[in-house]
Amino acid sequence: MLKIEHLTKKYGDKTAVDNLNLHIQPGEIYGFIGHNGAGKTTTLKSVVGILQFDQGEIYIGGESVKEQPLKCKSKIAYIPDNPDLYDYMTGIKYLNFIADIFKVSAADRKERIHKYADLFEITDDLAQPIAAYSHGMKQKLAIISAWLHEPELIIMDEPFVGLDPKASHLLKEMMRKICDNGGAIFFSTHVLEVAEKLCDKVAIIKGGKLIRQGTMDEVRGDESLEDVFLELEE
Amino acid sequence: MLKLLVKKQLNEIFRVYFYDAKKNKARSKVSTIMFMLWFAVIMTGVLGGIFTMLSRKLCAPMAALDMGWMYFALMGLLAILLGTFGSVFNTFSGLYLSKDNDLLLSMPIPVSAIVASRLLSVYIMGLMYSAVVIIPAWIVYMVTAGVNTQNIFGGIILMVLISVFVMTLSCLLGYAVAKVSLKLKHKSMITVLVSLLFIGAYYFFYFKAQSMITDLLTNLTVYGEKIKGFAYLLFAFGSVGVGDVKATLIMLALVAVIFLMMWFLISKSFLQVATATGKVSKVEYRKKALKQKSITKALILREFKHFTSSPGYMLNSGLGIFLMPICAVVLLWKGRKMFTLLNAMFGSQDGSVLLLITIMLCGLISMDIMTAPSISLEGKSLWIAQTLPVTPWQVLRAKLDMQLILNGISVAVGMVCVAVICPFKIGQFVMMILQVLSYVFVMAVFGLFMGVIKPVLTWTNELTPIKQSASVMITMFGGLGYTAILFIGYMVFPGYTLGYTLYIGIFIVVNVVAGLTLYIWLRTKGCDRFAEL
Repeated sequence: MLKIEHLTKKYGDKTAVDNLNLHIQPGEIYGFIGHNGAGKTTTLKSVVGILQFDQGEIYIGGESVKEQPLKCKSKIAYIPDNPDLYDYMTGIKYLNFIADIFKVSAADRKERIHKYADLFEITDDLAQPIAAYSHGMKQKLAIISAWLHEPELIIMDEPFVGLDPKASHLLKEMMRKICDNGGAIFFSTHVLEVAEKLCDKVAIIKGGKLIRQGTMDEVRGDESLEDVFLELEE
Repeated sequence: MLKLLVKKQLNEIFRVYFYDAKKNKARSKVSTIMFMLWFAVIMTGVLGGIFTMLSRKLCAPMAALDMGWMYFALMGLLAILLGTFGSVFNTFSGLYLSKDNDLLLSMPIPVSAIVASRLLSVYIMGLMYSAVVIIPAWIVYMVTAGVNTQNIFGGIILMVLISVFVMTLSCLLGYAVAKVSLKLKHKSMITVLVSLLFIGAYYFFYFKAQSMITDLLTNLTVYGEKIKGFAYLLFAFGSVGVGDVKATLIMLALVAVIFLMMWFLISKSFLQVATATGKVSKVEYRKKALKQKSITKALILREFKHFTSSPGYMLNSGLGIFLMPICAVVLLWKGRKMFTLLNAMFGSQDGSVLLLITIMLCGLISMDIMTAPSISLEGKSLWIAQTLPVTPWQVLRAKLDMQLILNGISVAVGMVCVAVICPFKIGQFVMMILQVLSYVFVMAVFGLFMGVIKPVLTWTNELTPIKQSASVMITMFGGLGYTAILFIGYMVFPGYTLGYTLYIGIFIVVNVVAGLTLYIWLRTKGCDRFAEL
């Protein structure tokens, strides 16, 4: 589903991501762990087409992000760490806009918007301008917009920040469901307990380099993920 | 406590002199001094200069008739008007919407101290604007009527009275705005309409000022007696300036009472207004059928939504769209008279009147620079456009289309009115249409070009990219420069010897070549730059 080969991204002299290789299969929830500034967000932004990278290749469903950016983008959805949405739109107008861009039919968008808005309990607020939303509500709206076109791959940067416990639980269920249906999830997190419980595979990045990756058992062995992470960070 | 808050407030007010937000670092001492000097030159040199000239015109005849009070009443009213006009738009946000409201209210600080420190900002703003009127007026009066203790103290007390009154008035208006904005639904359009009315009123008085002053100076004694009889307070207000003790005491007491009333009102309601969510009664969403639109339409509608939701964006980047139909109606109403006048003035040079109309249309189009800040306005939500399955060109094209559509509509209204009123030859009219349309195109692509090469994405206040960004400045002055060249080329360098058709033909060719060059750049390199932002 997602293949990252020899990805290198530099900011001036600083190498943010250094020769990173990663392969995510359909059905996998893949956690991406690392300290602040390790290169997680740079990697995620390179995958979704926000950042142009210096070397390497990224393939989504077999298509190159460099060669076929639109085809790749139509298969994915991205939720950034801080969901800055269009404050001048109402929630429903924003969702409608996203649905238009992804060519979601009128019937499908109605069904999905109402289903997810009900689940996240923001249906009543959809007519409000986004500027009036709290951080958590914006995060919920960003999640709904990501799920609207039923993407094959969802990229998320710290998706649980700002969500209440019920919404977090719901998101975890939705993540599992999309993977059960053949999709894949690639997300960064600092909450190691979440990664431990939720992820099929995990990758640890440090100073732009991938220092460990594999299934949860392969990565942590007999220890907890937290112990492994702290050992690797030393 | 109050001292600390006042210090913080002063830091905020004058922060711009010491800190360069664009470079995110402190200004050098030289830069700070230059910046302050520049502001002082603008305020005293330009605004102060205008009011010095006005004072000189009014002072001598009034002082000669011993009607100094009327001179001060008039200049004082002007000072109040300018002071209030200059500060009232910032009063609401300055008083109630400060970002540190939560922080300050969570600390052991009396609400009255917060209110007092906020009032200080309003006071300084009002003082700054009213002083550029009343200080020149005071100096001119002393030069004309002589320097004595009475005139010196009269002027000083009048300035204090005016500045306190301006602050009081601004705060009361700010309070009214706060109350109304908590309940208003279509804030953006109402703000635009009110602003346009203000601009209209300003120009009405501006054009009428000369005849009003002449009328006043001719009938000084009559008006003076009427004011004394029917508007004693105005008489007393003016008399403060000439050092009348009784009038001074009355006005001091009156302003003090009004100030105390305002203080009571603001300090009592501050907490409630400042901590209100600002939400209009919540509009509850009702599930309904949703329509599907094409990508192109969705992107254009997004641009329209952004434009119409922001009064600052509409007024600063699209003023010409609103003024064009107004001017067109004025043209229908007074057009024939205007043409007769212009023909009498410039009729000797063939095609001059047509050129002046073309310049008027191009001048109005130059005020429409929506594409210039449009890239910067993506701000922190740029990631959405970058991650959606749309090409950079589709995003840029939508921005271009919005300006072309809005300009097209307003220009069409303008051209129809011009066609109705002007006695053209058909060939000349066609050339005018081609010039106007090609200029609309050039302005739109030039603005977008500037937006792409000079984006500012890290703003915290939307007005920063709209009013202060390099892309907007260059596009705006570029448009004005173009209009000036159009005029100077014909009138000064004898473009009129070529005749209207040939002269405008050259500009059309330049417009088309420049426009297409920029358009091709936007489709290629512009898209690459946008993708890399």
